[in-house]
Amino acid sequence: MRSGFLRSARRLWARRAISRMPPPSEELLARGGPLRAFLERRVGSEAGGLDAGSPQLAAAARLLNEKERELRDTESLLHDENEDLKKLAESEIALCQKEIAELKHRIISLLVPSEDMDGSDLILEVTAGVGGQEAMLFTSEMFDMYQQYAAFKRWHFETLEYFPSELGGLRHASASIGGPEAYRHMKFEGGVHRVQRVPKTERQGRIHTSTMTVAILPQPTEIKLVINPKDLRIDTKRASGAGGQHVNTTDSAVRIVHLPTGIISECQQERSQLKNRELAMKKLRARLYSMRLEEETAKRYSARKIQVGTKGRSEKIRTYNFPQNRVTDHRINKSLHDLESFMQGDCLLDDLIQSLKDYSDYESLVEMISRKD
Amino acid sequence: MKFWGQILWTLLSGPRGRRGAPQGWAFNSWKTYSSPAGLSSATGIVNHWTRVFEERGIPEARESSEYIVAHVLGAKTFQSLRPALWTKPLTPQQLECIQELCNHRLQRMPVQYILGEWDFQGLNLKMAPPVFIPRPETEELVEWVLEEVAQRPPAVRAQDGPLILEVGCGSGAIALSLLSQLPKTQVIAVDKEEAAVSLTLENAQRLQLQDRIRIIHLDITSEGCCTHLLPWGPMDLVVSNPPYIFRKDMEQLAPEIRSYEDLVALDGGDEGMDIITHILTLAPWLLNASGSIFLEVDPRHPELVSSWLQSQPDLHLSLVGVREDFCGRPRFLHVQKSAP
Repeated sequence: MRSGFLRSARRLWARRAISRMPPPSEELLARGGPLRAFLERRVGSEAGGLDAGSPQLAAAARLLNEKERELRDTESLLHDENEDLKKLAESEIALCQKEIAELKHRIISLLVPSEDMDGSDLILEVTAGVGGQEAMLFTSEMFDMYQQYAAFKRWHFETLEYFPSELGGLRHASASIGGPEAYRHMKFEGGVHRVQRVPKTERQGRIHTSTMTVAILPQPTEIKLVINPKDLRIDTKRASGAGGQHVNTTDSAVRIVHLPTGIISECQQERSQLKNRELAMKKLRARLYSMRLEEETAKRYSARKIQVGTKGRSEKIRTYNFPQNRVTDHRINKSLHDLESFMQGDCLLDDLIQSLKDYSDYESLVEMISRKD
Repeated sequence: MKFWGQILWTLLSGPRGRRGAPQGWAFNSWKTYSSPAGLSSATGIVNHWTRVFEERGIPEARESSEYIVAHVLGAKTFQSLRPALWTKPLTPQQLECIQELCNHRLQRMPVQYILGEWDFQGLNLKMAPPVFIPRPETEELVEWVLEEVAQRPPAVRAQDGPLILEVGCGSGAIALSLLSQLPKTQVIAVDKEEAAVSLTLENAQRLQLQDRIRIIHLDITSEGCCTHLLPWGPMDLVVSNPPYIFRKDMEQLAPEIRSYEDLVALDGGDEGMDIITHILTLAPWLLNASGSIFLEVDPRHPELVSSWLQSQPDLHLSLVGVREDFCGRPRFLHVQKSAP
């Protein structure tokens, strides 16, 4: 039942992507639709006070019913003989429909469960995949794109580590990103990104396919993740000699090993050792936290198409086809045709992320309904 | 002091000096180690100078080379350079600049002086010889003081932050990092060297912290120095990274330290205690009733200080805490004033 429901939901979404229909979540909310039935039950059960924080939802549902009744009443006036009255009805209807759409939107945002980590800051990790130097060049471009996107969203962006290749590419890098709803947006970027183009190094003009991987790790708060200092080994380059005033060394690199898991976090971005230690610790905390989260997430969302976490990391999510000047997101079958602007990391990337967010909301609604069924 | 200044001038004028007088080293290094043609990417030039430094026995060969190249390209570390800059050919001006800075390194000048700046806590500070270069351990001393201030009961904190005295401010690293993180704090910073006083002032101005710091040219071992400090009112904290190296260890210091840094900032006398005991003798007069002293010391000092304090009951001071540095050596002391 449930998987059948999800399949038809996906078909509905795919159709919409082609014909640019209104978001299907709102279709689900149509009278007699499955989400509407769910909403009625949910609001009905609230008399018992089971669900905290939903007076807003109840009020919105009530208002929706009223507005729909008003719409039906006004629609009957369309058949009136009086032209003036008819015109008046038409404008009333337009207004009503607009209000209904807004209400539905609000109800959906109230219904979609927000994830614990949605408000978190995050660690972005990019790693070159198959394709040698070309993959590393693409990884470097992608890292730049996210840095620009962070600037576009006015988020804080801080590079934590950076391992370039000899030819100007990037093997691996990570950055800390913070700001309003940063994780909520960036979580959809995790996965394998594929690039198709003629590499600069290719002499015969053949198109190569290369990949790179993005991982998005939510940054836990101090409360959500407690690390025992005894579990850490902190290595610096000043382990021998008298230290203090006796020596003057400049190597400020720091390496932290989390002994129980063997996870290693390094940083040599800064000249201050203390700063490097803080950054390495930030990265370590994010890794440990995402390890813990992934166990839960894998269980909770195994049926979803948009994956966040381990499963999503191995999935090919997007193709950047340079000869066709096209970006395609495979999760929602959406293509854009201005690759260069897309790689600037502003409006186009933001639009695509918004679509992914809508789709993800839609999936979680569908999942919620089918669970209750 | 005069002699030292001469050496310094000679070394600093390195590349300039090569034109005239027989500046053996600078001259040789210029000829032998000019960068070969065609080797002009950042990575290539870092490797080149790393090899040169290694051949000449310069410590931290790779780090030195990376810091200098990154600095000339406008980055703090080589790791934080944008990858495009790793492979992009350098301009002749950049190459010349790298050459000049690397020649200083061949003369064992500390990287911090060569770059003219370094980072401490979150701050970027100007560095100038011979003013003592802050060591990474001292970042932890600042951390400890910050923790202590945060734990003080709200009544004590009141609307004004604590008044802090720093003895031997050097480049201003401790005082300025405390000021930048404690917005209501005021600091009185003293140093007996004119160069340190003016460098601290310059750094304070660079960081726009000059309004909350009073920098005084003062030798705390001099007679009557107390009268200069008393008018500023009772201090809540005294913090210091005093000279603490045992005199017999001074000879073993690396050339970077021995020939460039002001040895007065390092030499603590026979047992490294000379300035420490001066601070501890002076502090009870300057501190308020529950005031504290935070010191960075040699790992042998916690015991020495503890027994010295026991021999001086009139000071009403007790050692209440010892902390280790990141290498696990007992490095920091917390001494508190107790009721008489």
